[in-house]
Amino acid sequence: MATFVDKFPDEAKVVQASFAVAFIALGIGALFGLIQALHRTNVLRVIDSVDYYTLLTAHGVLLALVFTIFFLVGLFTWAVTRSFGRALPDIRLTWAWFGLMTTGTVLATVAIVAGLFPQIPMSADVLYTFYAPLQAHPIFYIGLAMFIIGTWMAGADWFLAYREWRGENPDSRIPLQAFMVLTTMIMWYVSTLGVAVSVVFFLIPWSLGLIETVNPLLTRTLFWYFGHPVVYFWLMPAYLLWYTVLPKLAGGRLFSDPLARVVFVLFVLLSTPVGIHHQYVDPGIAEGFKFIAMTNTMFLLLPSLLTAFTVVASVEHGARQRGGEGYLSWLGALPWRDPAFAGMALAGLMFAAGGFSGMINAGMNINYLVHNTLWVPGHFHMTVGTAVALTMMAGTYWLLPQLTGKAVYSRPIGLLQVIMWFIGMVFMSNAMHRAGLFGVPRRTAEPQYQNFDFVAAVGSVGEIRMQIAFGSLLLFLSVVLFLFNVAATWADDRVDTPVDDTIPEPLSPSSGAPLVLDNLALWTGIAVLLVVLAYTLPLASIVNDAGLLGGSPTFPVTVSLEWVVDVTVGALGNLSLDSLAGVAPADAVADLVREVRR
Amino acid sequence: MSAEPDTEAGDVATPSGDAASENGPPIPDPESVDDEGYVIGSGRSGIVRRIGHDDFDPVGTLVLIAIYMVIVGAMWIFMYFVEFLGGDLTVIG
Repeated sequence: MATFVDKFPDEAKVVQASFAVAFIALGIGALFGLIQALHRTNVLRVIDSVDYYTLLTAHGVLLALVFTIFFLVGLFTWAVTRSFGRALPDIRLTWAWFGLMTTGTVLATVAIVAGLFPQIPMSADVLYTFYAPLQAHPIFYIGLAMFIIGTWMAGADWFLAYREWRGENPDSRIPLQAFMVLTTMIMWYVSTLGVAVSVVFFLIPWSLGLIETVNPLLTRTLFWYFGHPVVYFWLMPAYLLWYTVLPKLAGGRLFSDPLARVVFVLFVLLSTPVGIHHQYVDPGIAEGFKFIAMTNTMFLLLPSLLTAFTVVASVEHGARQRGGEGYLSWLGALPWRDPAFAGMALAGLMFAAGGFSGMINAGMNINYLVHNTLWVPGHFHMTVGTAVALTMMAGTYWLLPQLTGKAVYSRPIGLLQVIMWFIGMVFMSNAMHRAGLFGVPRRTAEPQYQNFDFVAAVGSVGEIRMQIAFGSLLLFLSVVLFLFNVAATWADDRVDTPVDDTIPEPLSPSSGAPLVLDNLALWTGIAVLLVVLAYTLPLASIVNDAGLLGGSPTFPVTVSLEWVVDVTVGALGNLSLDSLAGVAPADAVADLVREVRR
Repeated sequence: MSAEPDTEAGDVATPSGDAASENGPPIPDPESVDDEGYVIGSGRSGIVRRIGHDDFDPVGTLVLIAIYMVIVGAMWIFMYFVEFLGGDLTVIG
């Protein structure tokens, strides 16, 4: 039986290559994650605490950007080719964006990992958010820029495929998977503008020494302009799989094609004008702008709740067709022993729980309680770390056979792996949320302080540390099993029928969807308008306040600590002690810094 | 919920089925399946009836979403007691 690799061998190679890069990043990122979890819980410290931030940066960049987005470009290439039923316009363009993205990834990763080797005068310990005035080596920013431009070219590739298909099918509805890809890319073009401006106009010239200062609030706001939509950029491949593949895996059909289109259009409109909700405690942005961002964010719950209904109803359809009965006992009729199904279903369940903490994060006054605590990593390990990552791993078990013509090496290992991930994340994420409520900070190598103990309302801090360490160990072992299974599949021989790759028609087909949903230009226009409304005044206010380039001293993490200490001591010396009456005296802090320096 | 076998949606897919219905070509031969019915992606091999659009009543989905909403509501009330009742109002203006 001909599957994807037989019909589109060239495209299958690109998708395989993209997945390969994604999985290498997953392996390295997961190892660094384990080292961090053991380090900050004080279970096992194999690295210096200064190197913690190098690993944290690598963990964030390799998993949140490289793993997710390389999987995305592979999945979208598969989806566009499959749903248009035609080869991509020019495979050289496809390889070109793959090459550019990979080169950018290698450059950025080298800059980060070089931080572990003192003899190499290069580092980029600026964390995934690369907030100025922390300054990375220029090739970190240049690598990131190449990576982003590569994704733009990939989008262009898919839009060219759409144009060719449209030329031959002037009156057809855009196939659902292609519609999802195109709308996601529109969102991506609108949102990456922010990070592109930040990196190309400010951070690269600044790291090269062409300009002396940047306005940290401006680059940080531009980062979050991109930083929230990027979470939907990770999530949309998972949604694509949940909407178009999960119902099939469950033995059913998608409940409603029009509803799926509405959800993706809502993400185009609402993903970007909400980024300021990541800056609720940022003192340079007026409360009113934050309130607008909060309102937009609450609207953004709508497409996710629509998804909860549509996807669960589609899965229920499968269960009923498989003989399921009753109000809840139908759940038992689902193919739980299929790792692709079980993984995606558990990922969806975890996403529902992530919705709880997401609603807390979104509310401005409640956010103050958990901001910058371990609660926040607890939240995003449920969403990107499970809803997205586990769906991608589970999806791989169904996709890889189509891309290689080889059956998955071991279904039981696959099943064990996805369940292990889920259980590991229940331990780690739940403990992180609770630790956050006690006030344990995030982004910290040694969250232990002299003469201060975190007070646990329920349980103990030690118990929470053990849960985090144990959970992270399960997660790492799950990745090891996954990578083994994938590598063994790749090394296997081809078989005639590696997988059942058909996707049935939705119960409510696209013919019932209003035509306006396919009007991509209209949605792009409205999305841009909403962004202009949400961001013009805050950005104008930030630039008015401190200028385009600001005046903050630079904190390069590319050079020795000594320089940073000098700047810090200088800045502390300039503080007015009067304004700090009653607070920890600045002199004491300055003394402490001098001591650290010695 | 009413359902009838072999409705307009096409033949029920079986491991030996040969109909290229709207659900696509037949699924793999059980011989090539390591554990019957559980080749990855073969959820439809367990289908025992066809349920069309008009026959499908997602009442189980309603139950699950109701449970979700009850949890959200209960946690919201719980949060009010824990975070606000004991302290002063949080000023946002």
